[in-house]
Amino acid sequence: MDVGLLAIGAGIAVGITALGTGYAQGKIGSAGAGALAEKPELAGRIILLVAIPETMVILGFAVAAMILLILSGQG
Amino acid sequence: MLVPMAKVRILGHKAQLDETLAALQDLEVLQIENAAESSSVPLPAMTLDAGRLGHRESARFLLARLDALLGILPPVEASTAVRFEVPSTEEVFLATLQSELDAAAPNIQQIAQTRDALNREQISLPRYQATLAKLLPLTPELADFEGYETVALLLDRRYGQVLELLDQVLKGLTQQDHVIVSAAVDSETIGALTVFPRAISDEVHDLLGRERVTQVRMPPELTGMSIGQALTHIEQRLVKIRQELAAANLALAELSARWRGRWMTAAERLRARLAQLEIISQLSETRYTFVLTGWVPERALSRVNAALQERVGDTVVVEKLQLTRAECKQAPVLLENPGPARPFELFIRILALPQSGTLDPTRLMALFMPLFFGMMLGDVAYGGLLIGVSYVAEHRFRHSPTVRDLSRFLALGGGWAIVFGFLYGEFLGTLGHAVGLHPLWKGREDPETLPSLLVMTIALGAAHVVLGLLLGVWQAWRQKARHELWERAGLLFGLVAIFLLVAVATSRLPRGMMTPALAALVIGLVLLARAQWPTGLLMGPVEMLSTVGNVLSYLRIAAIGLSSVYLAQVGNRMAGLMGNLWLGIIVAGLFHALNLALGAFSPTIHSLRLHYVEFFGKFYQDGGVPFSPFGHHGQSAP
Repeated sequence: MDVGLLAIGAGIAVGITALGTGYAQGKIGSAGAGALAEKPELAGRIILLVAIPETMVILGFAVAAMILLILSGQG
Repeated sequence: MLVPMAKVRILGHKAQLDETLAALQDLEVLQIENAAESSSVPLPAMTLDAGRLGHRESARFLLARLDALLGILPPVEASTAVRFEVPSTEEVFLATLQSELDAAAPNIQQIAQTRDALNREQISLPRYQATLAKLLPLTPELADFEGYETVALLLDRRYGQVLELLDQVLKGLTQQDHVIVSAAVDSETIGALTVFPRAISDEVHDLLGRERVTQVRMPPELTGMSIGQALTHIEQRLVKIRQELAAANLALAELSARWRGRWMTAAERLRARLAQLEIISQLSETRYTFVLTGWVPERALSRVNAALQERVGDTVVVEKLQLTRAECKQAPVLLENPGPARPFELFIRILALPQSGTLDPTRLMALFMPLFFGMMLGDVAYGGLLIGVSYVAEHRFRHSPTVRDLSRFLALGGGWAIVFGFLYGEFLGTLGHAVGLHPLWKGREDPETLPSLLVMTIALGAAHVVLGLLLGVWQAWRQKARHELWERAGLLFGLVAIFLLVAVATSRLPRGMMTPALAALVIGLVLLARAQWPTGLLMGPVEMLSTVGNVLSYLRIAAIGLSSVYLAQVGNRMAGLMGNLWLGIIVAGLFHALNLALGAFSPTIHSLRLHYVEFFGKFYQDGGVPFSPFGHHGQSAP
C-alpha cells in the first residue's frame, strides 16, 4: 500500500481524536475553572475530569501506530 | 496506611470539666464528636452556665482588643519578649488583662493615629510639591494682591481654549480686574494661574466646575501662601515629618518590647479558653456530669488515660466504645506513611481522603508514580536537572509543605528519569549518542523500537490494572461486600481471558489455550451479570471493554515519552542548522528549557491520571473525613 496514504491515515487517526479530546477538555476545563473558583477543594476531581477525554487521543495514537507498524509491514 | 481509630466516651463531674478540656487540648489527640449529631448518646446537649457565658463574652471582647493592639505593635525578638505570668484563676487573669489594656491602650492608639496621619501627609505632600514645582515658573509675573484669590489650574493641552473662555467670563465679571498666566508644564499639560477679586470667587469656581477644569487644591495649612512659600513650607514639613515618624516608631517599638510578648501569651490563653468554651456545646450532660464522645488514635489511648489521671484525677472515666461496622466507616481519617511515601499523601488529599477502614494507596503511589514519570521523561540530563531544581525549590520554599512534597516527588521522578535515560541512551535527547552514551535497552528515537515500547507500556498497564483489581477483590472480601467482590472478580477473569485470547490469536500461545480462555471469559461475564442483575447482563461486557481501554490508556507513557524525545531531537537539529556556535547553543538551550518544563508538568499530570482513573477506579473508596483533633491551632510566635 502507498506509504503516503498510510501516513495520511495515521495522521487522521491522531488528528481527529486530538480535536475531539481538545473540544471535550475545553468544555470540561472551562466548567472546572468556574467550579474551582467556588470550591478549591475540588482540584483533584477536576484534574481527573479534565484528563478523562485524553483516552480518545491515546487510542488514536494506538490506531496510528498500528497503521504505521502493521499495515506498512504488510504492504 | 490509615491510623486505626478508637471511639471513646469520657465522663466526669462538671466541676472537672474545665481541667479535663484543658488537658485534652494540650494533648491534641482527640477529635470531639458533636453530641447533637450523634445518635449514640441519648442525653441533652450541654449548655454554658452564666459564669462561663460571662467569661466567654469577656474573653471575646478582650481578644478583639488584643488583636487590634497587636496589629499596631511591631514584632519584637522572641528572646526579648516578656511572657505573661498566668494568674491563678480565670477571673484574676481577665481582670488583670482588662486593667492593663485600659492603662496602655489609649497611649498606643494615640501614637498609632499620629503615625498614620504623618504617613498620609508624607504621601500626599510630595504630590502637591510636584504640581506646585510645575506652576512655579509662572509666579514671577504675579504680585501679592490683597483681597484677591489665586487659583492654580492644570489643563490638558487639547482643551487650552478653556483659558480664553475663562478670560472672557472674567472680563465680564471684573472689568479687566484679573490676571491669567499660563505655560506648558509638560508635553500634555498646561499649567495656569488665575488671580481675581474674592468677591467673584463663587462664580469662577462654578465655571471651572462646569467646564471640568482640574484645580490644584491645597491643604488647609498652605492656604494663603504663595507657590514659592508653599514649596518651602512643604520641604520643611517633609523633613519634620520624617523626624516625627521616627519618634513615633521608636515609641511604638519601646511599647512593643514591653507589651507584645506578654499580650501574645495572653491572646494564646484567651484563644485556648475560647476554644474550650465553644466546644462545650458539643458535649452532653446529666445533672452532675459531663459526657464527651470522640475519636482518638488507638495508640494514643493510653496517653489520654495517663494525662487525665495525672491532671484531673481518677474520677474522670475514659471508656473505649465497641463499634458497629457503620460506625467504623464514620471514623475520621489520619494518614501515616514512612518518609519516602509521605509526599504522595498530597496527591491523595487532592483527590479525596479514603474512607475509614479501606485501603490507603499512598505507598503504591510512591512506587508507581515516579516510575511512570521516569519512563515518560527518560533522559539523564533532564533527570539530573529536575533533581537540582527540586533541591533548590525544597530549600527555597522550605515553609511550604505543598512545594516540599512536589519537590520530593520530582526528585524521585528525576531519579527514575536518569535510570530510564541510561536504558534509552538519552542525554538532552539524542545528544548523548554524540558523546558515546548508548542505550542499554533500546533508543526511543529509532522507529523500530516503537513496537517494543508499546508492548512494554501495555504490559505495565495490565500489571497495574490487575493489581488494582486484586486489591479491589481483597477489599471487597474484607468488607464482605458481595456485589463488589463479584464485579471485580468478573473483571479480573475477563481481563485474563482477553489477554489469553490475544496471545492465542497472535500465535504466542498454543491453540489449546483457546478453551480455558473462553471459559474464563464466560465466568467473568457471569460474575459481572450476577453483580448487578439484570443490568449487569448488558453492562458487564461494556465494563470489560472499558477495563481493556484502561490498560490501553497506559500507551500514553510511550506517547508522552516519544513527544519529549522528538522535541529534544528537533532542538538539537535546529541548533545544528544555525551555523554559529553561540546561536546554536542559545536555540538548543531554549528548546531544552521548554522541553524540561513540559517534561516536568506533562508526565506528572499523566501519571496522576493513570492512578486516579485507571488504578484507583478498581478499589479506591473515597469519602474520608480528615482527623481534626481538639487543640491549640493557629497560634503564632511574637
